[in-house]
Amino acid sequence: MRKRGRRMPAVLLLGSILLIAADHWTTLDPMRTAGSAVFGPLESAVSATVRWVARPRPLEEAERENARLRAALQALGEPASGPGADAYRVLPAHVVGYGPDQTVTIDAGRGSGVGHGMTVFDGHGLIGTVIHTGPATATVRLATARASSIGARLEHSREMGVVTGVPERGLLRLSLINPHAEVKAGDLVVTLGSPSLRPVAPDVPIGTVIAVEGGAGSRTALLRPAARFASLDLVTVVLGPGPAAGGG
Amino acid sequence: MRPFVLAAVAVVLLAPVLQAAVVNRLGLPGGFPDLAVIGVCSLAVLTRPQVGALLGFAAGLATDIAPPADHSIGRHALVLCLAGLLCGKIPRDAGVGTRTAAAALIALGATLLDAAVAVLTGERGSHLAASPGQIAWTVLGTAAVVGVLFPLLRELRRRRRSRRWYHLSRRVR
Repeated sequence: MRKRGRRMPAVLLLGSILLIAADHWTTLDPMRTAGSAVFGPLESAVSATVRWVARPRPLEEAERENARLRAALQALGEPASGPGADAYRVLPAHVVGYGPDQTVTIDAGRGSGVGHGMTVFDGHGLIGTVIHTGPATATVRLATARASSIGARLEHSREMGVVTGVPERGLLRLSLINPHAEVKAGDLVVTLGSPSLRPVAPDVPIGTVIAVEGGAGSRTALLRPAARFASLDLVTVVLGPGPAAGGG
Repeated sequence: MRPFVLAAVAVVLLAPVLQAAVVNRLGLPGGFPDLAVIGVCSLAVLTRPQVGALLGFAAGLATDIAPPADHSIGRHALVLCLAGLLCGKIPRDAGVGTRTAAAALIALGATLLDAAVAVLTGERGSHLAASPGQIAWTVLGTAAVVGVLFPLLRELRRRRRSRRWYHLSRRVR
């Protein structure tokens, strides 16, 4: 017993190294799901308490309501904004946990129909996509994360590209596929999307071009995100095509 | 031992939750203190190396799997297990100053090791692992908790003992 106790630290250290290796080669998603099941509800409760303690002033309340309505409007989409965008089934959720690696927890999970890869936006633009789901919470990777990669397109010229995150500066980088595509400061970038709405719903604003890198004719540009990443609170999850789009 | 077990369970269950739901949204300058490192280092100085290692492993694994963590599972478990083990090895007869300095040093090492492991596993995106502000908050936090907790516990024990002596002396008289 005494000997086993003395050996325990070594066993634990070896165990953690094996865990790192296992998570590297396969994915330990069951463990993350268990973590969400245990810690997710606690995070939701603590965050709800913090929100209650720091109750917003009436003006902020109105602003929030405004943001919520705008998100709802955006979810409905303009009639001319492309196929499949007529109506989404959406779900409002609160951001309840903030991670160090550009990820956040939202207080809606598998129980509310949230699934892997779903699009999340706030009243201003794209926030990110769901990367893990738990029973009552889900983890969202922000568009500003380095690992994030989202299909995008310039709103006017319809040139396609990929948006990745620049977390150190809180900005985004657009890499256009066509090397001769024209891009200038002030251009609006929206999500490319796909008919199934996964990986992302189409035509959600991502950001505005603030600088073209490498001079004129370059294919990459820095974007200022449309969403307010500094004050994430109420967000909207796109669950899937609505009845108006003909999907289930 | 019972208050220690309660405190250990609180660190394992609450550190990741408070970290994600409260501390990370505060917007502190430079970075955020790592509550798990502070909790493990401050509790492990009160116990044996084996218990410290177990506490560190449990608390680390909890922060590895609690949402919204997205790094490799086992990274914090490894780092905090080592930190708990080392904190448990601080000699029992060390003074408050020595203990505080040793725990703060171990917290510093843990944060740096975490950054190193993050680089090794190819997760460069983690600014938790690299920010000087976060290191400073964590090390200062550990020093503050150990520096306050330790004299407090000693005072508590002294008082309880003197009360016992008082009762004993009355009984004798």
